[in-house]
Amino acid sequence: MTDMTSDTPHVHGTLLQADARTRKRNAAETRFKFYGILAIAVGLLMLVILLFNIVSRGTGAFTQTFVTLDVALVEDKLDKSGNRNIEEMKKVSTFGYAPLLKAAMTDMVEKTGMEGQISAADMAGILSKGAPAQLRDYVLANPDKVGQQVSFNFLASSRVDGYMKGRVSRESIANDKSISAEQLDFVDKLIEQGILKKKFNLSFITGADASDARPEAAGMGVAMLGSFFMMLVVLVLALPIGVAASIYLEEFAPKNWITDIIEVNISNLAAVPSIVFGILGLAVFINYMHLPTSAPLVGGLVLTLMTLPTIIISTRASLKAVPPSIRDAALGVGASKMQSVFHHVLPLAAPGILTGTIIGLAQALGETAPLLLIGMVGFIASNPPDGIASGLLAPNSAMPAQIYEWAKRADPAFYERAWGGIIILLVFLLAMNTIAVILRRRFERRW
Amino acid sequence: MKDLMAERTVDTQKLKISARNVQVYYGDTHAIKDVNVDIEDKTVTAFIGPSGCGKSTFLRCINRMNDTIDVCRVQGDIMIDGEDIYDKRVDPVQLRAKVGMVFQKPNPFPKSIYDNVAYGPRIHGLAKNKADLDDIVERALRRGAIWNEVKDRLDAPGTGLSGGQQQRLCIARAVATEPEVLLMDEPCSALDPIATAQVEELIDELRQNYSVVIVTHSMQQAARVSQKTAFFHLGNLVEYGETGTIFTNPTDPRTESYITGRIG
Amino acid sequence: MSELFNGLIGGSAAGLMVIVVLGLSALGFYMARSRAMASGGGDRRNLHSLPNYYGWNAAMLTAVPALGVLVIWLLAQPMMIDSAVFKTIPDSAIAEGSSRGLVMSDVRRLADGLDVIVERGVMDAESAATLDANTTDLRATLAAEGVALGSAVEQPVLDAAQMYRTQSSTGRFWMTVLVSAIALLAFVVSLRLATADFRARNVVEKGILALLILSASIAILTTVGIVLSMLFESINFFRLHSWTDFFFGSTWAPNFRGDSDLSILPLLWGTLYISIIALLVAVPIGLFSAIYLSEYAGPKVRSAAKPLLEILAGIPTIVYGLFALLTVGPALVNIFGRGEQGLLGVEWMSGATSVLTAGLVMGIMLIPFVSSLSDDIINAVPQAMRDGSLGLGATHSETIRQVVIPAALPGIVGAILLAASRAIGETMIVVLGAGAIAKISANPLEAMTTITTRIVSQLTGDTNFASPETLVAFALGLTLFVLTLGLNVIALYIVRKYREQYD
Ligand SMILES: Nc1ncnc2c1ncn2[C@@H]1O[C@H](COP(=O)(O)OP(=O)(O)OP(=O)(O)O)[C@@H](O)[C@H]1O
Ligand SMILES: [Mg+2]
Repeated sequence: MTDMTSDTPHVHGTLLQADARTRKRNAAETRFKFYGILAIAVGLLMLVILLFNIVSRGTGAFTQTFVTLDVALVEDKLDKSGNRNIEEMKKVSTFGYAPLLKAAMTDMVEKTGMEGQISAADMAGILSKGAPAQLRDYVLANPDKVGQQVSFNFLASSRVDGYMKGRVSRESIANDKSISAEQLDFVDKLIEQGILKKKFNLSFITGADASDARPEAAGMGVAMLGSFFMMLVVLVLALPIGVAASIYLEEFAPKNWITDIIEVNISNLAAVPSIVFGILGLAVFINYMHLPTSAPLVGGLVLTLMTLPTIIISTRASLKAVPPSIRDAALGVGASKMQSVFHHVLPLAAPGILTGTIIGLAQALGETAPLLLIGMVGFIASNPPDGIASGLLAPNSAMPAQIYEWAKRADPAFYERAWGGIIILLVFLLAMNTIAVILRRRFERRW
Repeated sequence: MKDLMAERTVDTQKLKISARNVQVYYGDTHAIKDVNVDIEDKTVTAFIGPSGCGKSTFLRCINRMNDTIDVCRVQGDIMIDGEDIYDKRVDPVQLRAKVGMVFQKPNPFPKSIYDNVAYGPRIHGLAKNKADLDDIVERALRRGAIWNEVKDRLDAPGTGLSGGQQQRLCIARAVATEPEVLLMDEPCSALDPIATAQVEELIDELRQNYSVVIVTHSMQQAARVSQKTAFFHLGNLVEYGETGTIFTNPTDPRTESYITGRIG
Repeated sequence: MSELFNGLIGGSAAGLMVIVVLGLSALGFYMARSRAMASGGGDRRNLHSLPNYYGWNAAMLTAVPALGVLVIWLLAQPMMIDSAVFKTIPDSAIAEGSSRGLVMSDVRRLADGLDVIVERGVMDAESAATLDANTTDLRATLAAEGVALGSAVEQPVLDAAQMYRTQSSTGRFWMTVLVSAIALLAFVVSLRLATADFRARNVVEKGILALLILSASIAILTTVGIVLSMLFESINFFRLHSWTDFFFGSTWAPNFRGDSDLSILPLLWGTLYISIIALLVAVPIGLFSAIYLSEYAGPKVRSAAKPLLEILAGIPTIVYGLFALLTVGPALVNIFGRGEQGLLGVEWMSGATSVLTAGLVMGIMLIPFVSSLSDDIINAVPQAMRDGSLGLGATHSETIRQVVIPAALPGIVGAILLAASRAIGETMIVVLGAGAIAKISANPLEAMTTITTRIVSQLTGDTNFASPETLVAFALGLTLFVLTLGLNVIALYIVRKYREQYD
């Protein structure tokens, strides 16, 4: 410690002026900080682009082009016997209704002074292929209207709708067999006359999916019910099981290797790819236990297994946040351990548990991959379930699966619906997360 | 205690730091109230006082470490070598190279012993080449009185040393940047008596080159290592003077009560 | 309501049993409670436990054993019947190149198919039970109802299927009997137990504890289920297909006429390539965001930017998939493709799906994942470490780069591994954005395919659990599971060690 006499203390210059090196270092500091800002800006920009994309491409799905037509419900064609017997009237298929539509169209063309501008086939192409079915449903529901003239709002075909929304243009239809330039000319006239109009389309939200040929009629409603029943299953199973498991692990479990294994297991399960849960569902619930394919019950079971770790982890955090003094207080007045947990700890942890459960449900609601494997895509979910049993067991789709299904159909008209479906899905997720945040704010307790 | 005082030579040094009307606020808390103090070069100055009286706060003002705390505001002037360190033109980074700091808990970086010490010289560009850097590191470790213990394992992680060794490493690290002032905030509070003795001996050596300011809770330590002592109480600088005078003949009753163990 | 009831009965005998047992258990609750009160002379102070405990005891005793037996029965019955039927299949019924297990899966399909056509009224139960494979074209009949069979039905297979059906219905009958008997017995016993001196609370609490333990072990059961279900089918797969081709072959070309090349390597390559691109996007952006938010940003910026970034993590992956397919893909084609009309005037990219498309979008998805994990980890670095560096006159960025990041490195590596495991297991983005062509190529503008997309494609549509082309999905799934699990275990271990270091 004596050999430091040779040292000559370093002399520092004035502090009032930054030396060259400090200036350089400060420049590096500014640059580094800028990278941070840049990174956040890029992240937020991506969010904005994504949301903008969804909104700008999806809102179109909520409006639809309709054609107003007066149709004469000719008795000869619809009810030959004239006694309004529903069973007999049912024998007339949609083909039997097509001529009525054609007559109505021709009528309209005449009235508006556009004769000779459009062929009969082209005329029919303006309307959705579902129009005769709509007519038939109406007649079978209101047999007394037969013989009268009734005004209908028919869906326009998806190409006409696309033209109204700017998705289809005169340039883009060159190779499109479904629509011709003449038809578009005609459509322009109809718009002028106020016969063809874009309106809010409630049936996109409440309606069922439709076949490839009728994108204009496809809706999310049935898939929403499918998601609803799946969430019901998840809630009914995952919440009690998750809470019970957490109570055991947090309050009762002895510290030994078995509990350790369970703990490690849970944290790893939380990170298992969702598709693996789909494989499990297919192998166990469908192949082994023979539960029906495409059933929301199976989807719900798979999502339950997937959501359980999330719920357990958040529930344990809420239980842990309840201070030990509460437990001691309960034990001190002679409650059993079980009573202290169920009467005191659990109610105090309830808001936290609820928040975690809602967030877990939101995750499950948006999950798609496992649903693909248990068959919740690839068909048309056309009939809404008529009860709890059929809601659980009848084949159905789910919101994200329906979106995927539409995305796969490779038709811009369905793409628009896929984006629209995303808006609906995100509205649900937003609502759930908002509730979770409010719950947390409202009941957050600091001990 | 008397013996210790007797052998102390008190010679006046030139002024290094002077604080005028310093006020420090943490949000609404007024932590330092109108402190005036002159600290001399090549002297060990001790800050003593009960817990929470603002010793650390004032110490951290001297190298502007308080800038890193959002809610902290400093008013008044602190001059080092006649330059106001809170002047707008002063870069705190440059200031801290001149005014080094050693903290209460040893905080070696998770790097090798060598890299710990070389850290400061590297960022301040003090070494011309590798040999030069080696030289600086060795000198610093010698001054930190730890060279003999670590010279064979300079590549070992600094976090693997014992507490006392870590604190001496931190002192060596601070010394390696060649500061003119060395601030030490309770450098021995996490150490055992033997390590404390080593560090105290070291502080006495450092006095030859630096102005050292040390915060301590140990009256004995203040008496052993310092020439000047400042007593803080509730944010006020109550008394400042020769260490011998403060400990044997304090003027303020609060100082006396504290030293005799009645407050604090 | 009656419709609901019918649906449940029609759906399964098990559903009915559950309702009956729960009903009985509810009845037990009220009866036991009033019995206990009566035996205590109407004064609850004479009882050992609160009256409700007597009720709970009865309810639990009635429901739990019966439902337990029901669940075990439901799990065991298929296995028992399988093995019984399995033995009856004569060797002659096993065609060349097939195996007993594969014939067995035909048997199950046929049995299910027969049930379906009976249920739909295509055939009455009587004639379905006495079918003759030589006189009816069962394959065509079933195909008309949407049940696809692998091959024409042979008599031995039909016999086995009929046996399967009878045993199943016998099984259901005995299950109903046994479960009802247990529930009734327990019901009676629990009522007799409900007297004033009975220590109802202690018994109920023991029961509840058992239920809690059962719930906690569901996590283990899930893991076991995952591993077993994939293991069994993977073993079946390796019986039909050489494992050397699977692990070391170079081509993925499933061919439903058989003789496919099913090697995982091209899929693994696509998976890793996409994941690496995703990490190249997510790690710098996520890490720098985390650094800025935890080291520089004021509380206002932090409380606004952090949740906004985390929205990206809450968006379902199907949305990212669509974003890849319909927005990012076409945008990339505009830049790198379309020849003269493109932005660069080059023709490097033909379709919207590519490694780059999927990688970029997956990167965006992972940004908040990396940033919030790194944020936690950077915050765990003790302030003393930063003070030490700042006290030596280091700038903030020098402190971050040379002290904070090295100190946080193990944790950050763990976070990146977790992100990598996410990327490898991600499905929807690659299903929609990566393409379906299995190849090993270095060009990121080409479409490639991944393990997860192949699992989806092999297991959707017409699946035939006797063909290697379907079973390979399980081997892929198992590989994926092992891969991601390995990454997770390592990552969690590193992160835990890191946390301990600063605790
Ligand atoms: N970061 C901070 N934010 C708000 N208030 C602070 C902060 N740091 C210190 N204070 C307050 O300032 C006052 C002085 O604190 P300081 O740490 O300087 O005391 P001290 O004398 O060093 O005490 P000790 O001997 O215990 O270290 C105390 O009242 C303390 O509560
Ligand atoms: Mg202090």
